[in-house]
Amino acid sequence: MSLSVALSQTQRRYLWAAAGLGVLAFGGGLLSSPARAFTSLLVAAFLFTSLSLGALVFLALMYLSNAGWSAALKRVPEALSSYLPYGGLSLLLVLPGLGLLYHWLHPGEDALLQAKVPYLNLPFFVARMVGFLLVWIGFAWALRRQSRAQDADGSPTHTRRSVATSAAFLVVFAITFSLASVDWLMSLEPHWYSTIFGLYQIGGAMLGGVCAITVAAVLLRRAGHLPIGEAHLHDLGKLLFGFSTLWAYLWLSQYLLVWYANIPEETTHYLARTEGGWGFLFYLNVALGWAVPFTMLLPRPAKRSETNLLWACGFLLAGRWLDIYLMAGPAAAPEHLGIGLLELGVTAGLAAVFVLVVARALGSAPMVPKGDPYLVESLHHH
Amino acid sequence: MRRLLVGYFGEERQVLAATRAVREAGLEVHDVYTPYAVHGMEEALGLRPTRLTWVCFGAGLFGLLFALFLQHYASAVSWPINVGGKPFHSLPAFIPVAFELTVLCAGLFTVAALFLRVRLFPTTGGTALPGVTDDRFALALIPEGPRFDEVEATSLLCRHGALETRLEEVAR
Repeated sequence: MSLSVALSQTQRRYLWAAAGLGVLAFGGGLLSSPARAFTSLLVAAFLFTSLSLGALVFLALMYLSNAGWSAALKRVPEALSSYLPYGGLSLLLVLPGLGLLYHWLHPGEDALLQAKVPYLNLPFFVARMVGFLLVWIGFAWALRRQSRAQDADGSPTHTRRSVATSAAFLVVFAITFSLASVDWLMSLEPHWYSTIFGLYQIGGAMLGGVCAITVAAVLLRRAGHLPIGEAHLHDLGKLLFGFSTLWAYLWLSQYLLVWYANIPEETTHYLARTEGGWGFLFYLNVALGWAVPFTMLLPRPAKRSETNLLWACGFLLAGRWLDIYLMAGPAAAPEHLGIGLLELGVTAGLAAVFVLVVARALGSAPMVPKGDPYLVESLHHH
Repeated sequence: MRRLLVGYFGEERQVLAATRAVREAGLEVHDVYTPYAVHGMEEALGLRPTRLTWVCFGAGLFGLLFALFLQHYASAVSWPINVGGKPFHSLPAFIPVAFELTVLCAGLFTVAALFLRVRLFPTTGGTALPGVTDDRFALALIPEGPRFDEVEATSLLCRHGALETRLEEVAR
């Protein structure tokens, strides 16, 4: 088992090339259709930030539930959470395009938008964004710091402190992430509202977090870096299965109530997503986010197979992207113009940055948290 | 009635090691009785993957189709009622009930299939081996077969820490 994780020179070169492609795509998009470029940036920035944040929630849940099985792989969510500052920067890059995306910025004669000005206004929006990001980064930093300190002295005090930090984080996360998703995604259509929107986004973020952890864990296990067995894969598979179903449940909860009530002010959101060429993507989202991975992960051996898990995560991550794209895209353009080089390029660029940051974080700490009191239990997990 | 050679153990790791050892020695294991689920026992016993998953899948599928049929028949065929101007056959409205019946059927039929398969229902009641619901782990061997020798089997069990061995008469 090798101790340090590092990308090869070739891998690094490809990733930097992809990041460069992202910058080019975004730059080209700014010149041709700036609203579409900022929409692409918002989608990708939100996606990778939510993956990182979802991984942090996973870590906090494991601490809070005194989980033993996950101790051997806890460096993976820790490394994923170290992307948060970069995710925050990518979200701040959306700020120059705010006027193109959020039309509550110029309410004009619109009575509803004028009534929302005390909450939806530029200074308060930016303050909230910076505040949320700083709070998340702070919690991620605190959990990583305790974990690294435990490597040195092996004291269980660090675990106890992390449990307390996790408890506080989960409460703060539920509130801040709900508000953040309302700010960044729901307010793209400031006339429309859904009371389950925050929970729906939390479900999505947790699903994305488990996906990112699973992909990283499988790749590290294949490379011989991570001392986990089939039982760990099985547990990750079960979590994927469960969170995918939770996401579908929340998706339907939102859709069904709007469909039942059939009130024009609510149905506009779904009409915009089933017409104008968006309809295919709308149903594809449910297939990628739930139906396909649900079927793939149903048998027990499927949850223990590395290849099958990677495929399921591929579908789920594509579904995560599409889910967020479907919230931002139709708000900016009623007619769907197709997913082009712009959307894919910007996403590939941020994906490359994500991988570079996470790989560097993985390399900067020992893969096995040797001071963790649960480590022995985790290594013998079956 | 069936005769079994039962070895009683006081610890989980002993009964696991003994189970592996008797199977390596070519003896036939009837079953292992433990107060709680012992991790790794299914590998030690060499159990085949359970077929209950297929019962569960089939029952879930049945529940799904049954729920969809039931709602379609009730709201679009037998007694159509206009609810809020929606079509009589409105699939989104059927999904919650379809979900519930899928889960209900999958759960109940799987448990029922398990009880039937292990013959655990009223009138089949026997008595549990002493201590296995408390602090004893019992390994039951079938005292037959070409490789079976009572003295050797007993000593094999004792070498792995059996507290006592006994020939028991059990139902079936």
